[in-house]
Order: sequence, then structure tokens, then C-alpha cells
Amino acid sequence: MKRIILRGILYSFLLVLMLEALVRVFHLHKDYPYRYIDEYQVEKWVPNQEGYRVTGNRRQNFSKYYINNSGYNSYREFNPSVEKRELALVGDSFIEGFHQNYYNSIGKKIENKVADIEVYEYGYAGYDFADQLHLVSQYKNQFELIDHIVFGIKFENDFTRSAYKVEYGRMALESPKVRLMQRSKLIVYLKNIGVLPAIQSKFNSIKFSFKNLGKIRGKSKNILKEENTALLHKEYIENFKSLVKTYGFDKDKNTLMLDSSITPKIFIDFLNKHNYPFIDIGPALQSSKKPTTLIYDRHWNNNGRTIVAKEICDFILNR
Amino acid sequence: MLFNSIDYFIFLPIVFIAYWYFLKNKIKSQHVLILTASYVFYGWWDWRFLFLILASTIVDFFVGLQIHKQKTDRKRKIWLWLSVIFNVGLLGFFKYYNFFIDSWITAAEAFGYTIKSTWTLRVILPVGISFYTFQTMSYSFDIYYKRLKPTKDFLSFATFVAFFPQLVAGPIERASNLLLQIQSRKEFKTNQFTDGIKLILWGLFKKMVIADALAPIVDDIFSNYATYPSSTLILGVTLFSFQVYGDFSGYSDIAIGTAKLFGIELMSNFKFPIFSRNVAEYWQRWHVSLSTWFRHYIYIPLGGSRVSKKKALRNIIIIFLISGFWHGANWTFILWGAFHALVFIPVFLMGRNTIYKGTVVAQNSSLPSAIEILQIITTFSIVTFSRIFFRSESVTDAFKYIERIFSNFSWESYSHPLGYRMVDYFILIILFTFYEYLIRKDERSPFSFKNNIVRFIAYTLVIFTILLFYDDNVDRSFIYFQF
Repeated sequence: MKRIILRGILYSFLLVLMLEALVRVFHLHKDYPYRYIDEYQVEKWVPNQEGYRVTGNRRQNFSKYYINNSGYNSYREFNPSVEKRELALVGDSFIEGFHQNYYNSIGKKIENKVADIEVYEYGYAGYDFADQLHLVSQYKNQFELIDHIVFGIKFENDFTRSAYKVEYGRMALESPKVRLMQRSKLIVYLKNIGVLPAIQSKFNSIKFSFKNLGKIRGKSKNILKEENTALLHKEYIENFKSLVKTYGFDKDKNTLMLDSSITPKIFIDFLNKHNYPFIDIGPALQSSKKPTTLIYDRHWNNNGRTIVAKEICDFILNR
Repeated sequence: MLFNSIDYFIFLPIVFIAYWYFLKNKIKSQHVLILTASYVFYGWWDWRFLFLILASTIVDFFVGLQIHKQKTDRKRKIWLWLSVIFNVGLLGFFKYYNFFIDSWITAAEAFGYTIKSTWTLRVILPVGISFYTFQTMSYSFDIYYKRLKPTKDFLSFATFVAFFPQLVAGPIERASNLLLQIQSRKEFKTNQFTDGIKLILWGLFKKMVIADALAPIVDDIFSNYATYPSSTLILGVTLFSFQVYGDFSGYSDIAIGTAKLFGIELMSNFKFPIFSRNVAEYWQRWHVSLSTWFRHYIYIPLGGSRVSKKKALRNIIIIFLISGFWHGANWTFILWGAFHALVFIPVFLMGRNTIYKGTVVAQNSSLPSAIEILQIITTFSIVTFSRIFFRSESVTDAFKYIERIFSNFSWESYSHPLGYRMVDYFILIILFTFYEYLIRKDERSPFSFKNNIVRFIAYTLVIFTILLFYDDNVDRSFIYFQF
């Protein structure tokens, strides 16, 4: 029995080494750029990094990112001036576009369609509306020179708070422990394809069952959440009002971008009532015959990005 | 509990360590452990149906003793029928009740009578009921035919009925093999342990890579067959052939491998049916434990082939129809069985039904002959065609599927609505078939390379491929659970 256990340990060790090598050779793992909080309390990527973002177990989507001097994934540097015509896209991971080569981003697609325009993509995974308005206010000098600003928003995620605070939770991803784990590309890969999260959630559920034997706390919370959806939506709209009040919102220069198919009617009605301009990308995405998102990821694929870029172009050109 | 779940990979080492470390040489305690583990394993899905297993166990234990005790054949037969009626009754109620009621209503409607469907019940099909009822019945049959003496040890009998590695999807064991092993004292053997682990690994590969990866593609094609061209429909049913093989033979490998960890050898259930040279050979290689069950307990008692030609043909038709019906309460399965009877009969009449018994393709060479390749392709095509009935939701769907293939043949490349990269799956199938061919002579040794390094590379590649095709969102249950 002892021999078997020793052999098992040796085989497992060798197996892990071999798998680590295979994952590296085929570059099946995601690269993670470093992030930081700058002197204006804005969270962004450390400038001048590059790497590859991988989606799917078999590298179904493989794209290169490049973090520019401003700390955002873009093929160009951001140098706004009075003479030029610029468009800023501000938003979360959908705008950030790690899922497509940085030189084929939404911004690049817009530049290909609209003559003499420079598109600056201020995208960062996890940015909500508070992050977006805080960024614009802190880099006021830059944004004042930019002609149009489009804010990419998702109602359910982006209005959960009424004021800006640095998200230190996200910065935990920069902890030495996490960074050390990321040195093993096998661990990164197993995490990305869902093997480690599945094991983790199993152990968490076992832990939870032992802790809450006989209780149904989780269930009642869910029911409560469903019942309160309407109230929650009202709260989000109040948060929107509060953020706009704090940072201001120039309706001539700024435009929101949303997908009406995943946005509650109450918010659309609110925007229409108060004349907030917005681009609705929902109908165009919905009517596409080809898939608009990646297979193992809900982010837009090339087709989705082309559609979004076209919608923004149409809006800019018709303005 | 599913073999391919994290629960199982927590459960199995616990039972294994307790069995060999804490309860070594304590045979009674080992039985208690295995029985408890088996009930936990089954109860993980739905504990209420444990009572059915227990009832089947008690009835057949008692019936076995009674059959043995009786002096006259008539009384022995009565007790045997009691076992058959009880077990088939369980199956009839839980699996076929609604089917019979619906069929009766449809038949009545065909004659102009309208019956409101108020008799159907919301009956849940207990997982594995078709397997364990057949296993317990085989015990009563074997005692009746005096091939076996009944056991007086209820604990070991209950362990035999509920033995968790093969409880829910076979192999359907005979008491003469499994019960006797359960009752005997076991010693831990390193070779048996490593063979078990290898089989579990290979079974997981077949299930998680072949079956689960192809499932979404097959589902899409069969759900939307009316919109796809002939070439896609042929692709769909071909991939389904691989899916169902990967799914069921993968399960059997894990079951056999797990049993080996506890020092028990289960019978082989799949012997590379892909390489069958005619339909008769296919049935000697596909779901062997069920085919032999029907052979031993229905076909031979009916006279088998040692009766007049007419009766022999009748026996073949009966066996295939029952086999089809065993798979599910749907006319599609009965038609599937009938189709196999139709293609088996010519082979039988030509006296070629046993010519390949005990041999394998390219028995004495590394490559098959041109004739063998032709035979394999023909058999595979016939069997794959029959799978249209096996997979379709209804008889109408099956015939429409076939009609679309033949009525307007056109060739178009298939693309999955979610944009799956199809070339990955084609490469996978080709490599899998090639590897199965390499190991075709021994279904119980999927990694029989002599060189340690080559063997280790094979393990690594298998695990690596499992990761490459791992999908957290896929439905992981096994196809044969529904039977």
C-alpha cells in the first residue's frame, strides 16, 4: 500500500509538470496585466504591458492586448487636441476589449468608417457608472478636449452605488498570493476553464451545509431579492441621478450606450423623459443572424463588435 | 451520484480507504460498508427509491430460498414466477405504465372512440430500475435452473443487488460471478488496483470527451432536423453513434474499474463494437451483459436456435423486440429492436452469426484487410442508421428524419449555432477510433504499452484532452440512466 501511495505521489507530480508544460507550449492560459490606483484615485492598468487573452479550453479565442501610456488597452495613445475630432468610449470589459486583438477593436472599427476621427477607448473590466464619471472628472483637462464621450452601461451592474469609492476588493487580485498562483499557468488554465471554481464551489457548499444544517437562509434571501426587484430598479435610478448631480452630465457631448433588451423599461422611460441621449445597440445585436458573443464567454465577438461600432458610427454621423 | 462528479471523487477515496485500511479482513464489516456506500450513492439522487431496491432485494432473497426448498417443478416454477411478476411489475409500473395507457388511448382513438387521458400518472422513472431488477431476477432464474445455490446471508445478497459501481447502469451481473466474489475474502492486489485506475481514467475520457463534447452538436441536429440538409442529418446520427458509445461504454469502464478497486471483477460490457464485421458480431460486442442476459434467460429457454427454423426466427424477433422495449417506453425503441431483428435474420440464415465469435478484426495482423474494412463500414452504417429510431423523440420524427436524408440529398458544411469549431471534433473522432483500434484486443487494458514512458505520456495526453474538452455547463448525466 505504501508503495502505491509513493508511486501515486510521484506520478501526480510528474503529471502536473507535464500538464504545466503543455499549457505553456500551446499558450492555453490567459495573461493578466498588472493594475494600480493612480494619483487621482483612478484604477487602471500599469502602462506599457502586453500579453494574450485566451477564451475557451482549446484556445478558441486568442487575442493580443496592449496597454498604452494612459493605462488602457488601445492601439493608439490618447493625445486629444482642439484641432482634432475625438471620440472617447468609456466603459467596462466590453469596451476594454481584451477579447479581440487590440488593433482590431471597436475604436479601430469606428476609425475605419468615420474619416478624421480618433477613438480613445477608456475601457476597464468592472468599471461602473461611478468609475466612469469619476475618471472623466479627474482627467477633466483631457476630456474637455474630446468632442464626444460615449458611456457604455449595463443597468443591472452599473448603478449599484450612488458615489465613487476606490474598489479595493478588485485590487486584492494584485496580492502576492494571487500573483504567485498566477505563475503556474496550469492553475490559471484550470481556473479559466471552470475546473477549480467547480471544486471550490463544491467545498464551499459542503462547508455551508455543515454550518447551516437545517436552515434555509439562502433560499429566503433569493425570494426576498426577487420581490424587491422593482424597488432595486428605483434605487438604481436614484443612484444614477445622484452620480449625475455630483459629476454633471453634458447632454450635448455625452451619450449613453445600452442594450434595451437587457435594460428595464422604467430606466429607458426615465432617459427619454429627461432627454438623456442614448444609443440602443439591442435591436441590431438581436437581429444579427450570426452569433454576437463568444462561445464560452458573454463578451462580444468580432461580429458583435462590428455591429456595435456601426451603431456608434451611425449615431455620430447623424448627430 | 454521478461517476463524473466531484461528489464521486470525494466519496470513492473515503470508501476505498475505509474498506482496505480500517476494515481489512473484516468481511462482514466490509459488506456493511459497501451496502451503506451503495445506498448513499443511490440515495444521492433520490432516497425514496431506495425502498424499491430494498423490496426487490427482500423478495428475491426469499424467493431464492423458496425455489431451492421446493421438491416439485411446479412449485419451483410458481416461486420463480413470483419473482418475475414482482420485478417486471415494478418495471411495468414505473417505466411502462404511462406508455401502455397512452398507447391504449391512441388505439381507441384510431377506432373512433375518444378517451380523455386522465389515467396517466406523474410517475418518476427510478434510475437504474431496469438494471437491478434484471440482476435480481437472474438470481432467481439461476437457482431455478440449478446453476446456483441460494445464499442464506442477506447482507451479502443485499450488497450484490446494490453494489454501487454497477447499480444504476450495469454491467448487469450474475450472482454466480458477483455474489460469490462478494462473499469471498479479498486481498489487496496492486495490479488490480492500477488496472482499475486505468479503466476509470479511460472511462472518464470516453464520457467527458467523446460523449459530452458531441452531445450539444447531436442535440442541435436532432432538435432542428427539419431545417438541416441530408449531409448534416447523416453527420448528426453518426456523431450520435459515437456519443452513445462513449457515454455507455465509458460508464461501464468506470464501473468495472471502480469494482476492481474493491477487489471485484465485473464482466466486460463493451468489446469495441465499432469494429464489428457483421450485425451478429456487433451484438456480441455491444452491451454484452444485457445481450447475454436475454440469451440465457429468454432465448435459450425458448429453444434458441436448436429448434425449427421458423421457431428460431420467432425467438430472434422476440429477443430483439424485448431488447428494444427494455430500453424505453416508446415505440421508437421497439422499432429500433425490430430493425435489428430484420438485419440480424439474414446473417443468421446464412449461418454467419457466430463466425466471428472470439476473434477480432485484424486478429493476426496490424492492419485490417480490404474486405474487413468494407464489412466494418457496412455494419457501422447499419447500426448507425438504426440509431435514428433510438435518438428520435417519436416515430414520426424518426421517419421524417429518414425521409429528409433520402428525399432531397444535398451536401452543406455544418456550423453549430454557437459557433463550435467543428474541426476539433472531427480530429477527436478520428484519433479516438484509431486509438480504439490499437487497443482492440483487450477491452480491459486501455493502456497496455510496455514502455513506462510511453504509458505515462498516454495518461498525460488523456488527462490533457479531458481538460481540453471539459465543459462545466454540460449536462453530465449518462444516456442509459433513462433506461
